[in-house]
Amino acid sequence: MLNIVTLGILSIAVGFLGSLTGLGGASILVPILVLFGIPVKEAIACGMVAIIATSSGSASSFVRERIANVRVAMYLEMFTIVGAIAGATITTVVAPVLLYFFFAAFLLTSFVGLRRSMSGFVPAERQDRLSRWLKLEGSYYDVAEGKEIGYRVNNALPGGFGMMLAGLAAGMLGIGAGAFKVTVQENVLRMPPKVSSTTSNFIIGMTALGGASVYFFSGLLNLTLMAPMAVGATIGAIIGGRVLNRLSTRVLRIMFFVIIVYLIVQMVYKGVTAI
Amino acid sequence: MSAPDRGTRIEPMISWLLIGGVGVSLALEVAGMVLFYLTYGNLNITQDAAVFIRGHDFFSFIYSVFSGRFHDALPLTLMTAGLIVLMLTPFLRVISSAVWFAVVRNFKYVVITLFVLIVLTLSLRLH
Repeated sequence: MLNIVTLGILSIAVGFLGSLTGLGGASILVPILVLFGIPVKEAIACGMVAIIATSSGSASSFVRERIANVRVAMYLEMFTIVGAIAGATITTVVAPVLLYFFFAAFLLTSFVGLRRSMSGFVPAERQDRLSRWLKLEGSYYDVAEGKEIGYRVNNALPGGFGMMLAGLAAGMLGIGAGAFKVTVQENVLRMPPKVSSTTSNFIIGMTALGGASVYFFSGLLNLTLMAPMAVGATIGAIIGGRVLNRLSTRVLRIMFFVIIVYLIVQMVYKGVTAI
Repeated sequence: MSAPDRGTRIEPMISWLLIGGVGVSLALEVAGMVLFYLTYGNLNITQDAAVFIRGHDFFSFIYSVFSGRFHDALPLTLMTAGLIVLMLTPFLRVISSAVWFAVVRNFKYVVITLFVLIVLTLSLRLH
């Protein structure tokens, strides 16, 4: 049966898998907790808090190496935080059964990431007026290519609203919604993949705080759940980040696919049986 | 990274803030869990009302926890303190970013950062 130690160990394993597959720990942990009979809203509230730890822990090195763009992140956080607060508020009042289906549906958006990584990055030729005014641009040193890569962010306003949707889903489901954020950043905002995934990771911590602020006094935050989840998932994510480069992309793809399909089936099953 | 830029950049400060906040928070959680075991002799995940966070708003809650008026047992107080530090980490990150943007006179970003800060503060205050 699940106790603080087993949940801690489970969270390490999940944090590890979450960081390898790019799914993030919470989107795997929330359905697993539900499987163990934890009320779905409690699982979501604790997931939201655990994300602050995993995201902030792993973002610190991306920020230091200046791959994540702090200015772009600040701009986009205006949108994600409003979305997250709205999403979390919805979850506190909505019928739990709906959350199973929302969760399963949102996991489907993770598949978009699979196609994305196949195509190369083409920088935007020109910037719209708002992006230019906000100086949404930057450069980073790409180790694999051995050179400084400059980029200009485009479509600041539609991109912002896309991020608001990501924040809404994150706040509602207690997850980072990283795959969705990255999709918006690459396809709408035209950010290079590495800048996009690291900036998304940085933003997730703030978005999660917006969601957590709503859950804080909702009576859903269980300390005996939250503590092992936060500690375990962060340790797992740190280990995952270190071995990521040693695993083949093919193995990662297969793992990703199996996990997502399993989680979707489980949440739908739970939803259907709860009706 | 060009060396002369280093001292004037925001990134190292944010990086340390994040790693420090998460480190302290997780240490408090681990200490809380160990004491939980020593106090109660088990490590069960419970639905007992005492393990759920309750109160009115984040800031007065912090005050009550750290001024010792929090009546829960020490293990739960430590876990709560860890949670508070964890939530304060991104919050302090926004405050320090706002100050930094003001120092480098990037007023557009001062406004953007203040917007995030105000929304966050209101949400922490009202919920």
